[in-house]
Amino acid sequence: MEDNIFGIAKLDGDLNGIPENKIVIFAASPSVGNEVFGYQMIYSNIIKNKKVLLLLNRASPSAYINDMKDYDFTTNNNLTILDAYSNVTLITPEKADNIKVIQNPSDKDELMNTLSAEISNGYDILVVDSLSLLVDTFGFDYASSLIDMIASKANGRLSSAIMFTEWNYDQKDLNSLYSKANATIQIRGIEKRVIFGQYFAVIKCDWVKEGSFSSALFKVLRPGGIKLYIPKILVTGPTNAGKSSFIHSSCKNAVSVDRLGGTIALDHGTLDFQGYIADMFGTPGQERFDPLLKMLGGEAIGVILVVDATDETGFPRAIEMLRKTETYGLPIVIVANKYDLKGALKLDKIKEKLHLGESVPIVPTVAEDLSKIDPNEPTKLKEEGVNQALSILFSLLKVKV
Amino acid sequence: MDSLAVGIDSFDKVVGGIPMHRNYLLNGSKESGKDLFAYHLTLSALANKVGVIYITSSKSASDLLSSFSLRNINISQYLGNSLKIVDNFIRNIQPDAKDNAYTRVLNGPLDLTGLAVAVSSLNSDFIKDGKTTINIFDSVSSLLLSNNSNTIFRFLQFICGKSKISGVTSLFLIDSDMHPPDINETIKSLMDGVINLKLENGVRYFTFTGTEKEVLNWTQL
Repeated sequence: MEDNIFGIAKLDGDLNGIPENKIVIFAASPSVGNEVFGYQMIYSNIIKNKKVLLLLNRASPSAYINDMKDYDFTTNNNLTILDAYSNVTLITPEKADNIKVIQNPSDKDELMNTLSAEISNGYDILVVDSLSLLVDTFGFDYASSLIDMIASKANGRLSSAIMFTEWNYDQKDLNSLYSKANATIQIRGIEKRVIFGQYFAVIKCDWVKEGSFSSALFKVLRPGGIKLYIPKILVTGPTNAGKSSFIHSSCKNAVSVDRLGGTIALDHGTLDFQGYIADMFGTPGQERFDPLLKMLGGEAIGVILVVDATDETGFPRAIEMLRKTETYGLPIVIVANKYDLKGALKLDKIKEKLHLGESVPIVPTVAEDLSKIDPNEPTKLKEEGVNQALSILFSLLKVKV
Repeated sequence: MDSLAVGIDSFDKVVGGIPMHRNYLLNGSKESGKDLFAYHLTLSALANKVGVIYITSSKSASDLLSSFSLRNINISQYLGNSLKIVDNFIRNIQPDAKDNAYTRVLNGPLDLTGLAVAVSSLNSDFIKDGKTTINIFDSVSSLLLSNNSNTIFRFLQFICGKSKISGVTSLFLIDSDMHPPDINETIKSLMDGVINLKLENGVRYFTFTGTEKEVLNWTQL
């Protein structure tokens, strides 16, 4: 049986999913929200045939399921909803096999006992959305006893994710509540007058070594859900090596500022890859645009260095561009493009001539279809090489972001 | 923009418009004219290129637009551009209701997190466009019907603080007859100013307190 997972790239990477018997609180600031973490976790597990129970008191079951659909997370019979919402509102509870209605959710004993009995039916994952509403209705002591009950019923199988909004509660109450959970993940906005970024941070986790997790920027895409956000990846290299081709082959929405096929200002695309999204910027290769290079390299956290495998005269320029973009020393992957063409150097030879060190990874790429090459358009590269280069760069970046 | 005319002559003549970037409670019993005041303010704001986020939790977005029309206040040209509606009601009766170009549909009065996230995000969008922004919460009373008062105090504290930081003006409608005096007073304490309305012998009156342009005596609206 596969492990229970968060369905969110970095959390599953750093925490190795969510083990059985563990309870995680997603503590969000009110301006950011945490509901999509719940949607994504439910979806990622039910498609793996995991049985998921959702205690829902924030929205009606159909509103919740519709919201999930907006993110492209369709549900199936592996999801059972315990509806603690409808009977405190005007809504007539829905009748469906996988929706169980709590008759009087305002009765705290009934709510606790119904949840406890339902957990006994055997689930892999429990999602509670939301605990802060229960705190508002019944108080912190009740919320703590609910977590205790969940822990006592886990029975070596259940992993739990609890959605909590951090309104202006007493910090002592929050600390006491969080002490009941095995892990707490804070979700925050980077905001002044406006929200210009969102991040999550694992502030506590008792099943991995301290220091093995860090905070991560994320964006919420609709559809798509939570994607880890990498602010900038730079694609650089000499003229005509294939930088624009690499960006247009990686990103669906790539655009180039070019003239007669040569990039004269920059290429840009949004990369959506392995649960991450990243802004990719490509530099122009011609020396007359060198004044732009420092600006384009600024704030990049990873580099794809594209070289023409058939033209070693461009290699010194490739190294010069790393220096001019001030990205020398960042995580880097060399892309040896046009590797299938006559005269292409072997990968070892290219590495040797670039003097970037033995440990720098190098990946060959080739055009998708040589018969379709248009000198005025970026050539599409075969997916295999592009994905391999990105996978390696992302594996280098995961410890950095 | 330092102050904005409400679009009601008598009020604007005496007060000179409401000072911006503050939080106000619009307080009055049923029939006191809160809706009319809020609708005129909405139109005046839109006509002055101010962005308006209208949060409705006591009626649906379509009923709200009908209500504007019935009062001959035409805002249709601004829908989706400078006017966004947050419909926090429709899912009470139609759980599968969806967003459209000018309406953000939320889950209802219990989902205050959803409401806070939506308002923060819409405010950010307007501010990034360089727009002065007003939030109109219609109404706090309907939120109080479904939540306990401490929950609403915490919510209002967050929204008022966020509005201040963002430079947004927020107006909160409340039906004073629906809640005990201690709840009304606590909510007033979270605000910068209070606009009181009343209907007496077929005539509407207002007072305006808590700002430098106070009107302490009941004055005809």
